[in-house]
Amino acid sequence: MQQNSTKDKNRHRPKNLNLFTIRLPINAVVSILHRASGVGLFLVLPLILLAIKMSVASPNSYFLLTNVLNAWYMKLLLIGLSWAFFHHFFAGIRHLLQDIHWMTSLHKARFSSRVVLWLVGFSVAIFAIAICW
Amino acid sequence: MLIQLLTHKYPGMRLWLSQRLTALVMAIYIVSLVILLLVVQPFGNATWQENYAAWYEFSSAIWFRLATLLFFMCLFMHAWLGVSDVLKDYVFNKVLRAYLQMAVDIVLVVYLFWLVYILWNI
Repeated sequence: MQQNSTKDKNRHRPKNLNLFTIRLPINAVVSILHRASGVGLFLVLPLILLAIKMSVASPNSYFLLTNVLNAWYMKLLLIGLSWAFFHHFFAGIRHLLQDIHWMTSLHKARFSSRVVLWLVGFSVAIFAIAICW
Repeated sequence: MLIQLLTHKYPGMRLWLSQRLTALVMAIYIVSLVILLLVVQPFGNATWQENYAAWYEFSSAIWFRLATLLFFMCLFMHAWLGVSDVLKDYVFNKVLRAYLQMAVDIVLVVYLFWLVYILWNI
């Protein structure tokens, strides 16, 4: 009897699985972007290694690398990559600080999330200006 | 207490701590490298030939190669832990997950050999 009523309750429980109607809190946004940027950085690892190789292998490959990276679409890619790096870096430092129990209350965690997003935006802007100068 | 947490009774703790320690090493390396590049300015010359020569000299220093090797070893370990977590969270088919994990393992080992080859051919 008891079991049946629980089953019934579960059957009529309202569900909301439409992700577009759920607004993630800012902490969750920073957290999921940390994961997404991590996966992105993992996927571009071969390109990073290739760039390191080309930069040191010979004067010719260095010249080729600088020419390739000077194209506007490569600069766009670099700026995207710099976003992934800076987000992973700053959000990662935030996670490390939380691991040692710094700023772990909800209010402070929301504040540090905003700080991370501002730092990332600022760093990407500096990077973009530096490579387009 | 920490010692007890890190023994074989709690293998997850060791993975957790490895991910944090590698993150710390990478952060220190990157901040130091950025500061050093800003001070030394190997890319601040008039021609690309001079830039290449300065960068070549900078990167062929033994401490740079050793630090970079340490950095990438930490990075590969960190990436292995991170990608494993992602696979455990999103890939529910155990066979598929095992194959993906194996592919990631192989790729990371190949990267490590490739990196050693790059660094010791400067």
